[in-house]
Amino acid sequence: MDPILTTNVLNVVYEVSTLAVVVLGLAVVFGLLGVMNLAHGEFVMIGAYCAFFVQAHDLPFLAAVPLALLVCGFLGLVVERVLVRPLYARPFDTLLATWGLGMLLREAVEAVYGRGFRSVATPLTGSVEVLGADYPAYRLLLTLVSVALVAGLVWWFVRSATGRRIRAVVNNPELAASVGIPVTALARNTFVFGCGLAALSGVMLAPLLPVNPTLGLDFILKSFFVLVVGGLGSLVGLISGSGVIGGVESVVSAVSDRTWGYTTVLVIAILFLWLRPNGLFPRT
Amino acid sequence: MSGSLLSFAGVTGGYGATTVVRGVGGAVAAGEACCVLGRNGVGKTTLMRLLTGHLPLQSGTVDFAGRSLDGLAPDRRHRLGLVYCPQERPVFDNLSVRDNLGLMEPFDAHRHAPLLAAFPILEARMDQSAGTLSGGERKILSFVRGVAETGQLLLLDEPSEGVQQENVERMAGFLHEAKAAGRALLVVEQNLAFAREIADRVMVMDHGAVVLAGAAADITEDTLAAHMHV
Repeated sequence: MDPILTTNVLNVVYEVSTLAVVVLGLAVVFGLLGVMNLAHGEFVMIGAYCAFFVQAHDLPFLAAVPLALLVCGFLGLVVERVLVRPLYARPFDTLLATWGLGMLLREAVEAVYGRGFRSVATPLTGSVEVLGADYPAYRLLLTLVSVALVAGLVWWFVRSATGRRIRAVVNNPELAASVGIPVTALARNTFVFGCGLAALSGVMLAPLLPVNPTLGLDFILKSFFVLVVGGLGSLVGLISGSGVIGGVESVVSAVSDRTWGYTTVLVIAILFLWLRPNGLFPRT
Repeated sequence: MSGSLLSFAGVTGGYGATTVVRGVGGAVAAGEACCVLGRNGVGKTTLMRLLTGHLPLQSGTVDFAGRSLDGLAPDRRHRLGLVYCPQERPVFDNLSVRDNLGLMEPFDAHRHAPLLAAFPILEARMDQSAGTLSGGERKILSFVRGVAETGQLLLLDEPSEGVQQENVERMAGFLHEAKAAGRALLVVEQNLAFAREIADRVMVMDHGAVVLAGAAADITEDTLAAHMHV
């Protein structure tokens, strides 16, 4: 196989799988709570700063994972209780509140670390030969971890008792409470879980990104495009949306440049909003 | 009421600022069935939603097994022993029949066997999505789910709606068995024959209030029909 083609295919898989992990937390929260958390990107950003923090303190890179989960999990717990829960039945107010929260988090991080870019050293250096192409080892590891994470979560969601209960709450919250599902606790846990996933993706992506306080804005926009294209509230929609947005951006960026890649996915999202507003696989 | 499993008094509530149920009281003892009757729109379902915690009380009290249910969420009431089968959207459409029956505890073929034998249409569709069932079949699934649970109080909102007569008769048989096992039943119904078959006591509602209440045996069909304007 042509090494350039192999590299491009691996790049597409990398973009799609990492984007799916970022969007997963946002989609799970929206699917269960009907809440579009516009501060989701800021939780990714905080995860990335956790990676920077552990490296700055000479701790092993993997220590960033529990740190990010703890920080963002606790933040998610407080935000759900104080900000999101009182606004569950008011989606527009939730949008405004989480947008404001995102601004607050960006300003808070900026106050501590400043506006400048920070870099996180790649914990796995070197490259691996894949079908004749040399591919960065960390990107390959990230792709594998992302695919495994999404596949594992989808399997858990479809097969586990908790996954069935989440689907029951999504379908019929009143009946779910009637059969004994603690809907409020499940909603809280789901929000915290979504924030934790965002933090985890921030840690994973930190070595490949210029870490700065506005890092999350790019992700929230891309996540929004994924949900517009794939459809809100279904896992198939999430994966197909990630495939279209991540795949198109990667391919167009490879044959042209990143500006064209970004412009193309923006046009696709606008076309979907215009011609197919429910996306490819809306929840029925 | 002394000896009652469920007792409620002065129950008033509705939707937002709109009051639908006004000052309703009643009680159900273990081994007893109380049927709530009335025309469409008189507040029967609202009363059930107030008792199960899906709507907040504007005033009044609800006690279960000697304990106040004030402020308890529906899932907490379920854990205490209130099993509710609602009238609208009675099943999880996106789950299979099997998952509807085994959502909180793993599906137990032995526990469900008598019910599934009585309603073979469900057994034939165990792996089918509940959303593909007819309205009557969904009611049967909801009924089977409720009866198979172990809670002491069954609150059924129009269980016979859209269900074939032969299956309504089977439902009545299971409700008699539930009473014999010491469970209490509060059943909203419009099917007078079914209600008379299972009820020990009846409450007739009109305009959000109880207009007739008493032992089922003491109330003639004509009196019931007159109060229900049928």
